[in-house]
Amino acid sequence: MSSDMTGTRKMITGAVLLASLHFVILLAGFVAPNDPATQNRELPFVPPSRLHFVDARGHVHLRPFIYRWAPHAGSFNEYDESRDREYPIHFLVAGTQYRIAGWVPARIHLFGVEEPARAFLLGTDNFGRDQFSRILFGGQISVAAGILATLISLGLGTLVGCISGLYGKWIDEVAMRFAELFLVLPWIYLLFAVRSFLPLHMSPTQTFFLLITVIGTIGWARPARLVRGIVLGARNQNYVKASRGFGASDLHLMRHHILPLSYGALLTQAALLVPQYILAEVTLSFFGLGVSEPNPSWGSLLAILQQYNVLVSYWWMFAPAVALVVVSFGYLSIANAFHERLQSVSI
Amino acid sequence: MGTEATARAPKTALVRIAALSKRYSQAGGLMGKRFVVDALRGADLDIAPGCLTALVGGSGSGKSTLAKCVAMLEKADSGEIWFEGNTIWPGTSKQLSRLRPKIQMVFQDSASALNPRLSAAQIVAEPLEIQNLGKRSQLRERACELMTEVGLSPDWADRRPLEFSGGQRQRLAIARAIALKPALLILDESLSGLDLSTQAQILNLLLDLQAAHSLTYLLISHDLTLVGQVADFIAVMHQGKIVETGNRQQVLGSPQHAHSKELAASVRVVEEAYRTARVGIER
Amino acid sequence: MRYLQRRLVHGMILLVGVSIFCFLLSDLAPGSFFDEMKLNPQISSDTIAALQSQYGLDRPLPVRYFRWVKSVLRGEFGYSFAYNSSVRSLLLLRSRNTIFLTALATVFAWLIAVPLGVWAAGQPGRWLDRICMGGTSLLLSLPELVLVFAFLYLVIRTHALPVGGMESTGFEQMDSCAKLWDLGSHLVIPVATLALASLPLLMRHVRASMVETLNSRFIQSARAHGIGRTRLLFRHALPAAANPLISLFGLSVGGLLSGSLLVEAILGWPGLGPLLLESSMSRDLYVVVGIVMASTLFMILGNLLADLLLVCADPRMRVT
Repeated sequence: MSSDMTGTRKMITGAVLLASLHFVILLAGFVAPNDPATQNRELPFVPPSRLHFVDARGHVHLRPFIYRWAPHAGSFNEYDESRDREYPIHFLVAGTQYRIAGWVPARIHLFGVEEPARAFLLGTDNFGRDQFSRILFGGQISVAAGILATLISLGLGTLVGCISGLYGKWIDEVAMRFAELFLVLPWIYLLFAVRSFLPLHMSPTQTFFLLITVIGTIGWARPARLVRGIVLGARNQNYVKASRGFGASDLHLMRHHILPLSYGALLTQAALLVPQYILAEVTLSFFGLGVSEPNPSWGSLLAILQQYNVLVSYWWMFAPAVALVVVSFGYLSIANAFHERLQSVSI
Repeated sequence: MGTEATARAPKTALVRIAALSKRYSQAGGLMGKRFVVDALRGADLDIAPGCLTALVGGSGSGKSTLAKCVAMLEKADSGEIWFEGNTIWPGTSKQLSRLRPKIQMVFQDSASALNPRLSAAQIVAEPLEIQNLGKRSQLRERACELMTEVGLSPDWADRRPLEFSGGQRQRLAIARAIALKPALLILDESLSGLDLSTQAQILNLLLDLQAAHSLTYLLISHDLTLVGQVADFIAVMHQGKIVETGNRQQVLGSPQHAHSKELAASVRVVEEAYRTARVGIER
Repeated sequence: MRYLQRRLVHGMILLVGVSIFCFLLSDLAPGSFFDEMKLNPQISSDTIAALQSQYGLDRPLPVRYFRWVKSVLRGEFGYSFAYNSSVRSLLLLRSRNTIFLTALATVFAWLIAVPLGVWAAGQPGRWLDRICMGGTSLLLSLPELVLVFAFLYLVIRTHALPVGGMESTGFEQMDSCAKLWDLGSHLVIPVATLALASLPLLMRHVRASMVETLNSRFIQSARAHGIGRTRLLFRHALPAAANPLISLFGLSVGGLLSGSLLVEAILGWPGLGPLLLESSMSRDLYVVVGIVMASTLFMILGNLLADLLLVCADPRMRVT
């Protein structure tokens, strides 16, 4: 009994954590203080702005503030805080324009500082672009890619699995042989090969949809086998036979009797696939085969780490990796929780 | 053996089965051996209307297979089946689907025959829903009526099957089976696995329903004592064939075939022991 | 024996299927290797056309496929436009490097995962088990990408190991001992990354399989006989729990190959990964097809090996 409670609690905490992360990413425009594409060429590789409560004269401020970064005289990419003026952080400020869900324009941001200072919570990159904002917007692309690709995989897989399991014989044979083809290839090799066969230079929107289509379509085989197994098992249930006896159409059987059995397994699959597909998008973008500049994706953000001096000197550039790990961890936890619940529930 | 007995059955049979055969084969494992079972080997049977015909035999004799073929849940390999003068096998799916509502089946295991996720009312109303016989609210009302008819309180309409006892589940299955007003109800070992008093109650219900709706029953059972008390006609199956048919007295009293003799002999021994345990059955 | 034959035939059919699949895909692809050249105004379109016909790229798809099959049968596996050599020589060299890396990583991963998993299963709920489960949860969320950079960070900071590549300059002039040392030092990061990446899943499966076996009756009776814990775990339970693990071994080949692509590319290890990247970017068609086929072959062989091991390990399998 107690283990069941902790299991449920873990699932709920994991779900809440993930949900809040997704919410923040969804509202990237609101949460991010700066525009992700704006470059500050005079401030490359600025370290994260430090929050202070006590100023140089020893006064304590209730509202945290930052100092502007000024280049260190005579050196390259080194900065000092210029303590001449404090810039307190204001909440719910008007800032650069962005679009909610790419559609509704808005100007209000969660927090910000007065011009000409900028709040660089996670520093800047080589073009002086705010990393924090880029990570949030990049999350939109990477996480959305993962979720959408998962939906495609599961949708395709369910469709094929249903048809294969229900109609059997040669359709089943052909489908399963085909699935074997997809499963026998190492996944990433297939991904890169397919990606390479497709046009390399397209508009970012086109690239995004192409990516999710490719990633999602490649992964249809495993869900298909899963659903097929469930359908085969359900077909022999007496209540399905009874339904047939009343003249139920195959569609009716699917909708009311067979598919509901698969929801649990599909949900667990989804929780496992999303982080995998996010990683796929990140890997592709890392190598320049994904969403291209200037659109941020966690992959392209991490690509700069291949320059070893960046890797060693500018630790804040690692932040997208942390975001990736946290999201993966969240999904894997709820996948675990789903799996355990499924096992304990007996049909 | 069969012809004499058939002559005693009424001329207009509801269902006529002629030379039905069915073979199950399964492709073997790695070594490719095939696994073959001849479930039916030319079975002949007539089912008289308005009566209860019992199909008995040992396990593996093909009773269930025959029942499923009549219920159009399985397709026979060869032979013919007539229902009310129409050929239902060999037949096209269109013909079959027209006749489906007339022949319904109640399974042995009520727990597996009812979808555990649906409520009682949904289960009973499902055949009506599939045949598009009314709106949601009307169907629910009809489902409640059916539940009352089989002796279940309509207050339980929203309960799940697993919340019912075995006997109550069987009643639910029966309610579902009569929803489409069938002419023939096939009871595939529907009374096995129930305790004796519940069996008696369900039997009484079935007999009431038969009188009320002029139903014909085909009862598949291995329990000869039960069969001996309710069947009008008995058909004995052995290794995929019907080896003897006749009315109750003939088959149990003076069995002709060797197999029937064995079965009848075992009945007399057990009957005495069970007589006191049974709650009285009207007949 | 017949089983083996059947599997080999099955594998061949799969390979043929994969090759057809690749060619079909490549036909969908707009563009070819010579697109870059087309952009160059100095190269006339006639030259390009001549090059294309030389390589047979202007022929219809079935013709191209058959020419490729002929090339495969000759042992060349097609031609690389970028490297100007037969695909086979490229594949052999790179495959060797990749297999070397992944094999080492597998060995290390198993060497760590099996004892850990067995120990953890032996005392479920105790501190070792908790640490293992928590650790694997964490490791599972760390993709190879992150692991590689973490290692690189450490190594660059401490200057402990060479960063990337397979050989240091002057490799040829070193004596055997130094060569081995050099190779080893280059192997540390990639092997560690790949091993750590495949470790958690492996350990969990070992643990799960062991837990199931430990609950079986013959183990309980062995315990009643008073057999010591270590002996019980390793000599009695583990062999019985081995079946799903051996199957897992076959399946893990695919995961390892996938992971190695990234690691090789970032660290400059000259394996199949970077080659795939290069050739897919430049549309060196036959190299891409060759790599896909090679990796498929490894997967098939891995599964086959796993099945054979299963037959050897479990006497019950031989009866069927």
